[in-house]
Amino acid sequence: MNVLLIGCGGMGRMHAEMISRSGLTLAVCADEARPAAVALAQKYGAKAVTDGLKAIENKNIDIVAIATPTPEHLPLIKAAARAGKHIFCEKPFCRTVKECEAALAAVDKAGVKLFVGHVVRYFHEFETLREQAKSGRIGEVGFVKLYRGGLLPNGPKSWFADYKKSGGVTMDCMIHDLDWLRYTFGEPKRIFCQALMKSKPVFMDYSQVTMRMKNGIIATVIGSWAHPAGFRVKAELCGSEGLIAYDSAEAPLTSMLRSESATGSMIVPSSPVSESPYLREWLDFVQWIDTGKCPRVSPADALKAVAMAEAALTSARTGQPVAF
Amino acid sequence: MVNIGIMSFAHMHAYSYAACFNALPGVKLAGIWDDDKKRGQAAAKQFNTTYTGNLTQFLSGKMEGVCICSENVKHRSMVEEAAAAGKWILCEKPLSPSLEDAKAMVKACKQAKVGLGAAFPCRFAPTLMAVRDRIRAGEFGEIYAASCTNHGQSPGGWFADDVLAGGGATMDHTVHVVDLMRWIFDREFTKVHCESGNQLHKKTLKTDDLGSLNLEMEGGMQVSHLASWSRPKSYPTWGDVTMEFIGSKGVLYVDAFGQKVNVYSDRAARSEWASYGDNPDLGLVHDFIESIRERRSPCASGEDGVAATAVTVAAYKSIKAGKAVRI
Ligand SMILES: NC(=O)c1ccc[n+]([C@@H]2O[C@H](COP(=O)([O-])OP(=O)(O)OC[C@H]3O[C@@H](n4cnc5c(N)ncnc54)[C@H](O)[C@@H]3O)[C@@H](O)[C@H]2O)c1
Repeated sequence: MNVLLIGCGGMGRMHAEMISRSGLTLAVCADEARPAAVALAQKYGAKAVTDGLKAIENKNIDIVAIATPTPEHLPLIKAAARAGKHIFCEKPFCRTVKECEAALAAVDKAGVKLFVGHVVRYFHEFETLREQAKSGRIGEVGFVKLYRGGLLPNGPKSWFADYKKSGGVTMDCMIHDLDWLRYTFGEPKRIFCQALMKSKPVFMDYSQVTMRMKNGIIATVIGSWAHPAGFRVKAELCGSEGLIAYDSAEAPLTSMLRSESATGSMIVPSSPVSESPYLREWLDFVQWIDTGKCPRVSPADALKAVAMAEAALTSARTGQPVAF
Repeated sequence: MVNIGIMSFAHMHAYSYAACFNALPGVKLAGIWDDDKKRGQAAAKQFNTTYTGNLTQFLSGKMEGVCICSENVKHRSMVEEAAAAGKWILCEKPLSPSLEDAKAMVKACKQAKVGLGAAFPCRFAPTLMAVRDRIRAGEFGEIYAASCTNHGQSPGGWFADDVLAGGGATMDHTVHVVDLMRWIFDREFTKVHCESGNQLHKKTLKTDDLGSLNLEMEGGMQVSHLASWSRPKSYPTWGDVTMEFIGSKGVLYVDAFGQKVNVYSDRAARSEWASYGDNPDLGLVHDFIESIRERRSPCASGEDGVAATAVTVAAYKSIKAGKAVRI
């Protein structure tokens, strides 16, 4: 199958590699910024274009992979659906629930398959956390704390720092945890959120959520784009007979490159696995197309994730909890 | 020589304070009163002092100060009696679960012209003192947000009995962090939202064992706080106090009791943390003794206790109302 990749930035580069490793052919790389498209296309022997919408019409393309900034997701999904292509789209599905609904309608009408990259469901550590919680080893889970964050991605000039476009750390980053909570513990009941979304004197966002699930579990979720460096993920599940904890800072590999700067270099943790979570999501998606076996993430899941993040942002604005 | 009495060993912190009084030069643990005779007698034996079962008789003794470690709801009457007897008072936290009672205690001590302190030993933890100094020196610029935890193992007993404790984990484990934040920033809390549950102990407790709070301080600082009895018996330590501060010039994270070495002993059922460094309780008790000598209020005063109680009371109000409430 031939893939058109739209958006050749950070995630686009990652997906290009996963596409080629999943036995697909990366046929076309599209990016408004020509150099980005060209650089990636060259690496994989693909064609480089700047107009993604036009490239969607290409008859040879079977799958459209969308890795553009979030506000570009809806028009591209609509066009791809209309053209009868299967779609891989980065999370968040779309910027708003309303947009998600429009995208879903287009996809349903066209009868194509849409996969949204809620990759945390495929992360090995989160799989283990989920398995451990479900195994009953810590009794009945009553409380979950998740933490994810670090640097504001791509600096203050990027679209991420335009909170209208990205939805800030809550919509763009914490959405992973909100989705994983629902995936693991069922539907949410209500959500409360405080979010910074600062642009002065520095661009930074820090989001603090308390979410009550329908089954009573309380989840506290912190998301940061407020750190001067690094990236860290922490999880803690508390049950009636124990506790499960994970901290990415306790990685098996840590490295530090000698640097000329007076402040020195950063510690970079890593945790290598033979099959990247990003590859696993692609393989799940491809299997869905090939065999009809449903993947771990459905379009309805992706919509619900946006709904949770959107409710959080509403709560942050109103200062009151939002019920689902 | 400063003579001190301890009133009630219902709260286990009394054992630590008693050891601290005994460790300080120029201080004498002159006696123990307890409404539980067996407990009081055993403690008197353990700390090499005398037990008195009659409170009037106890308070007519020559101690200059008393440390009150009874169940939360009994604090008020004991403070009032001790104040009437002219004693300087260090009262275990929370000062009281009721705002009205907490205020009455402050009033009683003012009228009796005695000092009243709320036992917030975290103010004497060097890790947290460093946090305060560095934030106040402006190293992290303006602080916009903080996320905090005060987790613990389940203390059981009266702590989980609404009638005696006036609440559960949210009552027990919110005031330390609230006091720290007020102490670091000289600002009051203005708003709170709290979700709480009784869901970590198979419903064997009569109170909440978990509270997830979102608070606001004057100036708009956004603060989350987790108060829980969520550490299992197998956990290597009693619990934690952690805080992450987000400032314009940087971030600061503190694990206040993170000064530890890991101990794996085949003689114990669990791996354990052995802590090193200063004992905050000793700092607290020392300040209390100094406050008696200097006839001043202890570092964390009764008013600080009232302010902390105001936050927990509002948190419970928020739980009931299902929305954020003003403090
Ligand atoms: N799953 C994850 O772990 C993860 C991590 C980061 C970002 N994301 C998501 O991936 C998406 C992309 O993020 P990123 O970090 O790669 O951003 P990025 O800014 O690095 O890259 C975006 C690229 O899209 C291009 N672009 C913008 N509009 C376009 C259009 N209409 N047509 C073609 N190209 C266009 C830009 O020129 C840029 O090269 C976002 O939705 C983001 O939320 C996911």
